[in-house]
Amino acid sequence: MAGSGRDERAWVGRAQAGSASDFEALFRAHWGPAYRAAYLVVRDAAAAEDIAQEAFLAAVRALDRFDRRRPFGPWLHRIVVNRAIDWSRARALRPEAEQVDAPAPERPEHDDELLRELGRLSPEHRAVIVLRYLLDYTPGEIAELLELPRGTVNSRLRRGLDSLKERLE
Amino acid sequence: MRFRAPGEHEAEERTWAVVRRAYAEREPVAWPRRHARPLVAAAVVGAVIAAALSPPGRSVVRSLRESVGIERAEPALFSLPSPGQLLVTSRRGAWLVHRDGSKRLLGHYRDASFSPHGLFVAATRANQLVVLDPKGGVRWTLARPGPRFPAWTGSRTDTRIAYVAGGRLRVVAGDGTGDRVIGRAAPVAPAWRPGPGRVLAYSDGRQAVVVETDSGAVLLRTAEPPAKLAWSDDGRLLLAFRPFGLRVYDRRGRVVLQDDPSDVTHDSDAAFAPGTGELMVIRVHGLQSDVFAGRSGQTVYRGTGVFDQLAFSPNGRWLLVSWPTANQWVFVRAKPRRIVGVARITQQFGRSAHIADWCCA
Repeated sequence: MAGSGRDERAWVGRAQAGSASDFEALFRAHWGPAYRAAYLVVRDAAAAEDIAQEAFLAAVRALDRFDRRRPFGPWLHRIVVNRAIDWSRARALRPEAEQVDAPAPERPEHDDELLRELGRLSPEHRAVIVLRYLLDYTPGEIAELLELPRGTVNSRLRRGLDSLKERLE
Repeated sequence: MRFRAPGEHEAEERTWAVVRRAYAEREPVAWPRRHARPLVAAAVVGAVIAAALSPPGRSVVRSLRESVGIERAEPALFSLPSPGQLLVTSRRGAWLVHRDGSKRLLGHYRDASFSPHGLFVAATRANQLVVLDPKGGVRWTLARPGPRFPAWTGSRTDTRIAYVAGGRLRVVAGDGTGDRVIGRAAPVAPAWRPGPGRVLAYSDGRQAVVVETDSGAVLLRTAEPPAKLAWSDDGRLLLAFRPFGLRVYDRRGRVVLQDDPSDVTHDSDAAFAPGTGELMVIRVHGLQSDVFAGRSGQTVYRGTGVFDQLAFSPNGRWLLVSWPTANQWVFVRAKPRRIVGVARITQQFGRSAHIADWCCA
């Protein structure tokens, strides 16, 4: 789980000052959501790892310039989701180049089905659903993160959910 | 949604090993400087308010500029620190600046760009694309509605100029013949890919498009509409710049570098260093601007106020940083480290001075 806003601001501040343990706290708090979000958009574990890793490396590079008054999570998730969308679009142009991971066997069956159908949505629809239902952003926050009109976010959510519902019924 | 992605823990540990190393190798800003930032910011804000409220505001603004620029800046551009010629556009028109600092106002043109070997200049004015010799003599013109952003490519014997006019990307031969439409285009400067073939990157308003102009084959479409496009000098990397999300693509369309500024900060420009492909980026955050290396994140120059443009010398050794808050240009050489400031840019070139091209050592 990500820390509270106050924890996070303190971690960022101390990490800027050179505290490796606070930087690790920041990393550990955000790794899971970032990796899962990337995975749900790209459906490829290796690519998700690359995307999340690059987002954290970007965080290291930008650490001194980071505005501590702002939350770290949305900034990181914007990088992750935008890059995941880019990756999915590029893969769509080269469908032969990569293989989608098989679902992990230990997951319950209904999750498999949901994830499989989620993977059939476009990357743009997948991204808003992941941000809304995995990372719990509001449609307004998603609009800001992805630099989209709020109406576009709402319509992508609606269409994505309708499509999932149809396929799962 | 309760969910764990496959291999999450193992991926976390692998990534932590990489990220921890990057964190250990970074060069943090010294504490005193970071604590000084709010004080500098407060001083700048105070000076701006004073300028707005008091009758002698203009002199306060002048002193503000002096306080945020390089103290020992040259009072004029006496010479360029590196071989080559500079094209500058401003409200007064297009200027050609020679190595020795002599400069010529070519005329009242909006945009300007060198030919591949720096022998001619393509420029635009209200409804004309114009090709000029270095003395400002007009070689030919082409009437088109509101042409912008000429970009020239080719060899000594066969060249093409791309430009945007009437919402269309057009390409014309270097002698002014064979003008034709390539496609719908947004008002963003197109960029020719260096090397063989006539490959051009442009914005169609929804995304960046890389097209082979002779065949019309589309080689790449990016995800977002760029505000600026540029190629590394080996033609392998394409910069699609946006203030809130910069991307560098390789030839397969993979993102190999990205920068997503945190909230309330933005990037104001980025440029590839000739010869190395290293990308330098300007980040504006609050009342401060940094120039930093895209890959390492290392800050190479920092100042109070806004930096708005970067340009590399043709040999890649000098980086020109435009600093409008200080009304200065700063030439930065990394190794051995040297900084040269030039003051009174507005007085020398006119308002809204913009570095259009630095070409041809």
